[in-house]
Amino acid sequence: MDVILAAAGDAFTWQALLAIVIGTWAGIIIGGLPGLGSVVGLTIFLPFTFGMDVITSMALLIGVYCGSVYGGSITAILINTPGTPQSAATTFDGYPMTQQGRVDEALGWATFASFFGGVFSCVLLIFCAPQLAKFAVNFGSIEVFALVCLAMLCIVGISRGSLLKGLVCGMMGFFFSTVGSDPITGADRFTFGSYALSSGLDLIPVVVGAFALSEVFVRFSARDEEATIIPEARLHFPGLREIGRRLIELVRGSFIGSFVGALPGTGAAAAAFISYAAAQKLSPRRANLGKGEPDGIIASESSNNAVTGSAFIPTLALGIPGDVVTAMMMGAMVIHGITPGVRLMQDQAQTVYALFVVLIIVNVAMLVLSKPSIGLFRYLFKLPLGFVMGGIVMFSFIGAVSVRGNPLDLVVAALTGILAYVLRRGGYPLAPLVIGMVLGPALESSLRRGLLISRGDFLSFFTHSAIATTLFVLIGLFLIWTVTEGVLEWRARVATRREAASAQPVSE
Amino acid sequence: MKSLRYSLAALALIGTSHAAVAADNLEIIVPFAAGGATDIIARSFEPTFSQQLGVTSVVRNVAGASATVGTAEVANSEGNPNIIGYEPAGALSIQPSLKKLPYGPDSFTYVCRTVSNPMFLMVSKSSDITSFQQLVEKSQDQPFLYGSSGPGTLPHLAMAATVVNSDLKAEHVPYSGSGPAMNALAGNEIQIMADTETILENYDLRPLAVFADHRVAGYEDVPTIEELGLPALDFSVWQGVVAPKGISDERAKQYAEACKATVESDKFKAFADKAKANIAYLGPDDFKAFVQKRFEANKQVLEDAGLMP
Repeated sequence: MDVILAAAGDAFTWQALLAIVIGTWAGIIIGGLPGLGSVVGLTIFLPFTFGMDVITSMALLIGVYCGSVYGGSITAILINTPGTPQSAATTFDGYPMTQQGRVDEALGWATFASFFGGVFSCVLLIFCAPQLAKFAVNFGSIEVFALVCLAMLCIVGISRGSLLKGLVCGMMGFFFSTVGSDPITGADRFTFGSYALSSGLDLIPVVVGAFALSEVFVRFSARDEEATIIPEARLHFPGLREIGRRLIELVRGSFIGSFVGALPGTGAAAAAFISYAAAQKLSPRRANLGKGEPDGIIASESSNNAVTGSAFIPTLALGIPGDVVTAMMMGAMVIHGITPGVRLMQDQAQTVYALFVVLIIVNVAMLVLSKPSIGLFRYLFKLPLGFVMGGIVMFSFIGAVSVRGNPLDLVVAALTGILAYVLRRGGYPLAPLVIGMVLGPALESSLRRGLLISRGDFLSFFTHSAIATTLFVLIGLFLIWTVTEGVLEWRARVATRREAASAQPVSE
Repeated sequence: MKSLRYSLAALALIGTSHAAVAADNLEIIVPFAAGGATDIIARSFEPTFSQQLGVTSVVRNVAGASATVGTAEVANSEGNPNIIGYEPAGALSIQPSLKKLPYGPDSFTYVCRTVSNPMFLMVSKSSDITSFQQLVEKSQDQPFLYGSSGPGTLPHLAMAATVVNSDLKAEHVPYSGSGPAMNALAGNEIQIMADTETILENYDLRPLAVFADHRVAGYEDVPTIEELGLPALDFSVWQGVVAPKGISDERAKQYAEACKATVESDKFKAFADKAKANIAYLGPDDFKAFVQKRFEANKQVLEDAGLMP
């Protein structure tokens, strides 16, 4: 108990609180600008932390991280352009709500769901970190492969209506992810002898092209006035009764996010898609999903913010960073003489508890700062459309190139933008492309590692461990469910058509 | 269409402002993404180094393709006195043998080696294997799996060389970094890993041998590979500073002096201590000879292990 009080004392210094406010606010803005996401935000702020003490610097970085994951939803809702890949699933229902004039409500749900997901995972982190970390260690390559297979089925779910077009885009994204060095042998693939291509296609330039640039092209080429109106956005928090009605959605999204975040090699973008797919199967209002249903926003935003807390579980409990972002945090800890690893919880209990407290304050700060941040975006979007679009193009390119500093990424962003524009005109959904790119590398390397481990025996995947077997059974059930649902729908449609035909009076 | 012109104007403005800033600064290329182990040491090296040189410097992360993209950028800046690279071992001494790259070990003006840490062969503490002999014996019925932070990395080469030169039966499973490999070791997906003291200490592992020509302080009871009856294998994780070819001798000398002063500074020493990086300074000529020697040795390992493309 003394440790927790002392830790709270570390976290409630004016330096730490100031760092939280600055970090979170900057994070929201950076996350909201298309192209600039969590990694770029942390890269910008990392050098500032060298002169700070450890809690203050972690407060700043955690603020930027959590803020940026939330911030991505603002632009996703307002202009159909996710600020970060993590918020790509928020556009499915966020933008339709904006078009229906329910932008205030959409922003309110996104903000509250982000807060809920963030706090949910903090609580989980505080009370169950060691147990969850032990569980995460059991997730080897074969278990990850099973999980990713399950997640891949999202493509089927998300592109309902045009399954073939969805699969085409999904495969395209998957193919994009195979360009560059082979993860197992290191040999170059699909580089056509070009040295620049050997580093592969990064996710950020592709996301920037697919969403931000294609949106700009669509708006410039739109003839109708409607497409050029940028909404007057305010923030309207949902009432307690509304929250109660959708509590189960919030909990499910947060739980999925916390679970996926604790595993190695997946991350917030994957979590949001998986959670959205789950909502499509389980939400009582699933018929409205994709047409402007708050449940869709909740599924996406509660899960991606739940990742922020649970990503720290393997990092703090085992010293194993789950993704790029936590790897950067670990780097910042090393600078301050804290060595993440299996003994961190015992040796540095006070620091670890202080980080927990910081995480919670950051989530509260996010809730408080959402209003002024949205105000700022509202002001920005009041500028003439040309400036707004020009700004989006500018930040998109800055974001595309600043992740790796590779000029190739500018070309990739521009070409993906053109490709995405053509695809949109043809009615192809873009989300599967991003899902393919996010999950492709995980699917490929976990399968190939799994085959190395099982020495080429694929059948042994199904019986490798209880977790793997459970996941494969779930995949089977999911497939059966989807097929049965489809057959039932088809039969119902046929039946109504037949009824309508027989009810038609014979006119001749 | 007026709006389109605005956007183009905005873009052009960004282009010029970047060009204006870029002139006359020393650029320090780090061929990894920000926040990684190499980046952190480079960033703590940078302030003292630029102070010694009396210039303003910026660290620029150019990541990708096993650190060769950033390294190639330094090599391609021939004659530019305002760019250097803070380089890892792999990009200089392994990758040129594996891939067709726009550079080789002769493409640089060598400045200095900064840090170097010997690698250990280690197993999980939860396993009952306590010696290398035991490891070899147990591998006879069912080959072990060893992890690495990726294909063609030092952990991969060190283990490949061990397997080629001993009776140990083990197969390679690459991961995307040391972290995921440690996760796999903790879950017993792999059984062996070669890496530095930092990894050894952080994850509570058991060292069975050290890839160095002498026993290492603090680990006096850990035998060297040579003591185990194998040919001497020397694998360490090192970093150093290189500049492009074609810079003036005067500039090269300035770099070398600044680097020596930085590595010897209290500030850098204190940091290296925290990050468990072992300071191992080598001057320009020694560093050049060292890289050449490591390049040849690694090439031999790659050939012996059948890893050459």
